[in-house]
Amino acid sequence: MAAQRTFTKQAIPKSMTSNFRGQSIVTHSSPFKPSTLSITQITTFRVADFHTSSRRHILPAGPQVINGTANDPAPVPQPSPTHGSYHWAFERLISAALIPLTVAPFAAGTLNPVTDAILCATLLIHSHIGFQALIIDYLPNRRVPKTRALFMWALRAGTLLVGVGLYEFETNDVGLTEAIKRIWTA
Amino acid sequence: MAALRTSTSRLLASTRPHAFRSAIAARNYATVEPVSAAAEAMSASQPPVSPKKTSTIHEQGQSPEARTKTFHIYRWSPDTPSQKPKMQSYTLDLNKTGPMMLDALIRIKNEVDPTLTFRRSCREGICGSCAMNIDGVNTLACLCRIPSDTSHESRIYPLPHTYVVKDLVPDLTQFYKQYKSIKPYLQRETKSEDGLEIRQSPADRKKLDGLYECILCACCSTSCPSYWWNSEEYLGPAVLMQSYRWLADSRDEHKAERKAMLDNSMSLYRCHTILNCSRTCPKGLNPGKAIAEIKKTMAFT
Repeated sequence: MAAQRTFTKQAIPKSMTSNFRGQSIVTHSSPFKPSTLSITQITTFRVADFHTSSRRHILPAGPQVINGTANDPAPVPQPSPTHGSYHWAFERLISAALIPLTVAPFAAGTLNPVTDAILCATLLIHSHIGFQALIIDYLPNRRVPKTRALFMWALRAGTLLVGVGLYEFETNDVGLTEAIKRIWTA
Repeated sequence: MAALRTSTSRLLASTRPHAFRSAIAARNYATVEPVSAAAEAMSASQPPVSPKKTSTIHEQGQSPEARTKTFHIYRWSPDTPSQKPKMQSYTLDLNKTGPMMLDALIRIKNEVDPTLTFRRSCREGICGSCAMNIDGVNTLACLCRIPSDTSHESRIYPLPHTYVVKDLVPDLTQFYKQYKSIKPYLQRETKSEDGLEIRQSPADRKKLDGLYECILCACCSTSCPSYWWNSEEYLGPAVLMQSYRWLADSRDEHKAERKAMLDNSMSLYRCHTILNCSRTCPKGLNPGKAIAEIKKTMAFT
């Protein structure tokens, strides 16, 4: 809350703005930077200095965002079970199904193209959901929408590529379980 | 307040980074505009100036048999917003100090440095005001014993990944707004049969044990990495446990609506069950289990 108030035009007291200016001029004197900054200019400036020591943040904290007043409830998103409860149940179902599917071909000692195909498909969906969760966690739509879209499409392309690759491997080569068997005993 | 909001949203919209700028490329550059400088200073996730580079304030009138212990405390003042946060060191004689961390903090404020700022109220783990990160664990200062080993130096930070108002005081506005959004009260249209109290069987009442005791100190939410990254949308363990407290209540009649509020990818399902919440809870509650129960009821009904 305080952060946000500080950033607004009306809320910055005189002493604070002078502090800001002093800080930006004294500690980071840059040839690219105008010596005086008005508050309206501040909003659009993003100056990259050439520092010898780079700062590496995992995710730099952005300015604090509060929607509405302190007494308003946080906005509640529209219900969408396909991304919520159905998605979760499906994800758990796939994960649980993977256990017997992984064990079955080796326990039975038979190589069946159908179980192989089911295993490949389940693995593919499982890893797709896993990577998707990573992207949703670390590339929030509200902060990096374009990067998010790029990674999502890259993931879809990757999944498709792996799917085609697995299909080729199953039809033209020995197949997944047989390959694992051979590597295991190699 | 409304006037401030519009200018803020405009301000934020204009500084919104482009596709690659903020997350990947720009983080190697020093961004020097005041907005980010202040935001950086106010985020407790930024490393403060190390205690090796700051002074130590010693307690006056040390006795020869003093058990002197050092406390490194996170300091940042909004009066000097451009100054980086720092770790200030204080020494205290444990013989003159109470057993808990809060006693040490109160003693520092009373006798050593009155500018030290922290929240406290009940000093017995009921109010949840003095939640802070002590020696790497989110806990209540009033329930945390000072380790008697004087060679071990204690480090006290505000709750991690919160915006700091001053020193050890975090801004919990978003946390409270999220609590409000789950409607934490009984929602019911029908009256009880005799028109008097809405009764509950002992078995139904028992379901609320371990849920209603939560004091909303935010220790669990601020220990959760998912909440660190997505606190704007993910509700966090404390609020989700309170959500479950009303879902589990036999008297509540708006269960479908409560479930629909959580049925999206962000509000509930950013929980990946790493159980930092259950591990850190100073009241010994289990938010992780409550979240798992919500997921179960949402999946199979």
